[in-house]
Formats: sequence, structure tokens, C-alpha cells
Amino acid sequence: MIELQHLTKRYRDTLAVDDLSFTVEPGHVTGFLGPNGAGKSTTMRLILGLDAPTSGRALVNGHRYTSFSKPMREVGALLDASAVHGGRSAYNHLLSLARTNDIGPKRVAEVLDQVGLTGVARKRVGGFSLGMKQRLGIASALLGDPGVLMFDEPVNGLDPDGVRWIRDLMRSLAAQGRTILLSSHLMSEMALTAERIVIIGRGKLIAEATVAELTSRYPSLEDAYMSLTADSVQYGAAR
Amino acid sequence: MKTVLSSEWLKIRSVRSTYLILGLSLGAILLGLGLAVMAAHMYDTAPAAKRPSARIADLEEAVVIVPQLCMGILGTLAITSEYVTGLIRTSLTVVPRRWPILAAKSTVVGTLGLLVGSATVFGTYFVTRWVLGDRFSGAYTSAFLDRLPLLTTLSLTVPTFALLGLALGALLRSAAAAIAIMVGLVYVIPIIIGNIPEPWSDRLGSLMIGALPREITGDIITTSVYGYLLPPAVAAAALVAYAALPLVAAGWLIRRRDA
Repeated sequence: MIELQHLTKRYRDTLAVDDLSFTVEPGHVTGFLGPNGAGKSTTMRLILGLDAPTSGRALVNGHRYTSFSKPMREVGALLDASAVHGGRSAYNHLLSLARTNDIGPKRVAEVLDQVGLTGVARKRVGGFSLGMKQRLGIASALLGDPGVLMFDEPVNGLDPDGVRWIRDLMRSLAAQGRTILLSSHLMSEMALTAERIVIIGRGKLIAEATVAELTSRYPSLEDAYMSLTADSVQYGAAR
Repeated sequence: MKTVLSSEWLKIRSVRSTYLILGLSLGAILLGLGLAVMAAHMYDTAPAAKRPSARIADLEEAVVIVPQLCMGILGTLAITSEYVTGLIRTSLTVVPRRWPILAAKSTVVGTLGLLVGSATVFGTYFVTRWVLGDRFSGAYTSAFLDRLPLLTTLSLTVPTFALLGLALGALLRSAAAAIAIMVGLVYVIPIIIGNIPEPWSDRLGSLMIGALPREITGDIITTSVYGYLLPPAVAAAALVAYAALPLVAAGWLIRRRDA
């Protein structure tokens, strides 16, 4: 479970996250939506203790992230799939992360198999396509077999086969009772994957609802999103 | 801490740049060999009357600049390669206390620096001794134990550079900036200091890393560009401070700065 309590983050004169409170429950996929610059990635960084909140707090399973001594066993996260050293092999990349949390090479082989990268495990990551890097990032999030998972735009760069694979993976991870927070700009994909939706804009909470509620009030999830975020788009063409 | 150390050890040995830098550092021994062969040839072809007054610099001291810079760059890349790719966010996420990462990287690059520094300094010494024999009035025939203190402190400047490079990389988060500062420390600043009026030339020259080994062991020479004003204990403290102060600053900052 992820709980945000009046979470606020100010960078000099920009209010990136503004008094944000919501809860992400286990057992289903929660979609995290919002226009570019809405504060989705900042919120995830705050949850992971990468940035310190200006005020408020983010709790994972009731604790601050920074209090975990083996955080990979609690939370897995994919923030930026291209954040890898291009000269290192996929296997060594994962093993170097695994070792910090006392996770063995056997588990590294398991997650490589789970994301379908076993055949290129010894290849340098620099030669990977974006889709393969997304798979590698998902593998690193799964290393500690955590109960809470966060994925920032994991579908980007994946082929149709990969998109379906992620959808099934997310749903099966949620069905195992895990907490899944998934951000994406692909509304049709989100409608197929998520059960609950959190929408933010300009750092503030705009809506927290189930997909079923939104699609009963609007023609589609995309229409719901467009209507709800109409006042919060900061970077977009006139419409 | 042990787990983070094994992770950092794997990180450094799983990229090719490490092996390139280690190879270049050890190549300094070949540079020493080349210089020694040249010196021996010049000595042998000089008129017999001039030979007794021929002098030779300590080649280890000339050659150690190569592993100093190379291992400084290795230290820098150990952290800036993570900042430039964004991998640092993942590293800090899996070790939220953060300082163990810096401590583990320090241990890894410091140890490699010590090994490579000793190998190049002592390697150059033995190669030069073998090539020169009793030429240059027996400059390289003095007892090994007499030379041991200076050779050891020269070797220790290499891990100092590795740690300084790591700390500068962590503070500045830019390889270019960190490497520029190290090159400045080795080449540029000593030249400037050598050209300012006394007594400041000697005073500041005594603080340069290049001056510290001889100040620590008391092997003072008069032909150096540096000054030699510091007593051994102060010089030893200065050598430690070159690595320790930036590392402490980096450790303080990495905990507080948003990643």
C-alpha cells in the first residue's frame, strides 16, 4: 500500500506537487494519469526518497521509504528505462543491483527469464532497443519480489506483443495481491489494464475513481481524461 | 556495507573503460623504461670527462603523474558515469542511506589506486635500476631500503588521486569539471606557482601534491619546482586531506541533495 499525506514539493518558485493526498491499495492496478509536467514523476521520486518533500509525507506499507534497509524487497520501481550504463551487460547490471539487497544470482536469472531477456543477458545494454530496456527495467523492479511496484511509462517503445505482455504482467502481479502504480499516457491501454485511476494536474489531485465509474460518466476513459484535465494542461497546443 | 561493496566491485569490473585505464596506468612502466634507455644511451655517448657530473632525475617521480591522472579519472568515472546516464537514481533507490555507496566506491577505487600506484612506482624503479646500472655516479645503486620510504609515499599519491577524483565527481556530477580540476592540480597550478614571487612560490609550492612525498620522507632536492617547507607530519596530513576533505563534503552533500 502507498499512502500520500499532504505531500508537497517546491523547487525554488515551482510548486511541482501541491498538497497531494491519495492511497494506492493492493490487489489491483492503479493508473496514474496527468498531463506533461503534472508532477507524476516527481511524486514517484518523492515516494522513493530520491527527493525530499517540502512538507507532508509518503508512506509505503506504513513506513517512510528511506527507513527500509532492504528496500528492493518492499518496493520495485521503474522510473527511466534508459538509466543504465551502456557498457555493462544486462546480467551484470541486474546483479550489481541485486547484491546491494542481498539478492542472489539465481533470482537474477529468474527475472531475466520472466521478462524474456535470457538470450541477451550477456550482451551490452547499450545495444538494446527502448523496448528491451523497458523489459530490463521491469526485471530490476521485480528482483526483490516486492509487494509494491511503481512503473513510470513502461509501455513506451514496446512492440504490440510487448504491450500485451506488460498488460498481462501488471494484471497478474495485481492479482497476486501486490500494489501496482502505473503511469501512462496511452488511455486505451490504461482502460484495459487499470481498475482504479488517479488523475493529477499542476501537482494537485483532480480525480480518484474506478475506471468503471469514469467510463459510465464519459464515453471513454480518454474523454474522461480530456474533460477532467482541460484546465490543467500546461504544455499543449490550443484546443 | 559488505553487500554494497560487492555491488560496486562488480560495477567497476564489468565495464571496459576500467581495463583501458588500468592498462594505460601500467603503461607508465614502459614510459619509465623508455626514459631509462634514453638516459643510458645519452650517458654512454657523452664524453668521458662529462660523465662524472651527469645527473638524472628520479624517474618514478616523473612517471607517477600518469597513474595519478589515470586513476583520478577512474575515480571520477565511477560516479559520473552514473550521473550522466541517470543510473545514480536507481543506485540511491536501492541503498536509501546513500553514504554506503560513496564508501564502497571509495574502497574500490582507493584499493585499485594503491595496487596500480605501487605497481607503477616500484616497477619503474626496478626497470630503471636494471637499465642504468652504475651510470650517473651510481644514482640507482643506492640500497633499496633507503629508497623505500620515498617510493612508498609516491605510490600513496595514486590512491589519493583516485579518491579525489571520486569526490570531485560526486560533488560536481560532471566528469569534465572533475577531470579539469585534477589536471589543473597536477600541471597548471604548479606552473603558476612556480612563476609567482618568493616567498609565496615556495609557500604555496609546498602544499602541492607533487611536493608532499619528499616533504613526508625528508628527501629534499633543490632543483624542484615545488617548495619544501612543511614538516613530515604536516605534509602527511595534507596528503590525507586532499582525499578526505572532498570525500567528507561529497558524503554530506549526497545525503541532502535531491537526486
